[in-house]
Amino acid sequence: MRASVGDRIIIRGHRVGEPDRDCEVLEVRGPDGSAPYVVRWGDSGHECLFFPGTDATVQHYEHAN
Amino acid sequence: MRTIDAVRRSGIGIGPERTVRDAAALMEQSGIGSLAVVSGERLVGIVTDRDLVRRALAPGLPHDARVDAVMTMPVVTIAADADLHDAFALFRTHGIRRLAVVRDEQFVGMITVDDLLVDLAGDLADLARPVTAEILFAQRDAAVPATT
Repeated sequence: MRASVGDRIIIRGHRVGEPDRDCEVLEVRGPDGSAPYVVRWGDSGHECLFFPGTDATVQHYEHAN
Repeated sequence: MRTIDAVRRSGIGIGPERTVRDAAALMEQSGIGSLAVVSGERLVGIVTDRDLVRRALAPGLPHDARVDAVMTMPVVTIAADADLHDAFALFRTHGIRRLAVVRDEQFVGMITVDDLLVDLAGDLADLARPVTAEILFAQRDAAVPATT
């Protein structure tokens, strides 16, 4: 997975009825856009280090710079 | 099968300077029971829900106590490309329920006994299906014609 600051990562729910979660990439710690990422969760506002697995997909956004 | 292929969830990490309250909130909101404790790029420990109970709540640590005061270390790890049977052996040898998966000594995810049980249950169900069908819907072979 490759991501840039400002991209959105979506993690699908793991159980029936569990909603998907999303977070915003605040910082890319790996080389060339690879993990880990410092992210902020959309539902709680908490920040953490994120190591994406097969349950995660990234939504890229066009960046001005 | 490689160990990394059996990891079902994205890993969540936390800095050692963060508080036990932050750790508990992250676990609750992410629906997981363990966090990797990462300093810079180095995995320095893991903190589990059990660590929070035994080393923070029970002794009455304040909520703003640092995560590295309650984390488990050293961490038992397995290489991402290692055969999954090696993970079985580590779980058995160390009597643990979570293994940190690393690549080039960097944390990439967590594998749990629960993950392996789910996979095994699926495999067993696949194996049992034809046997179950044979028991429930037995097909009798036609009788061999008598010869004179």
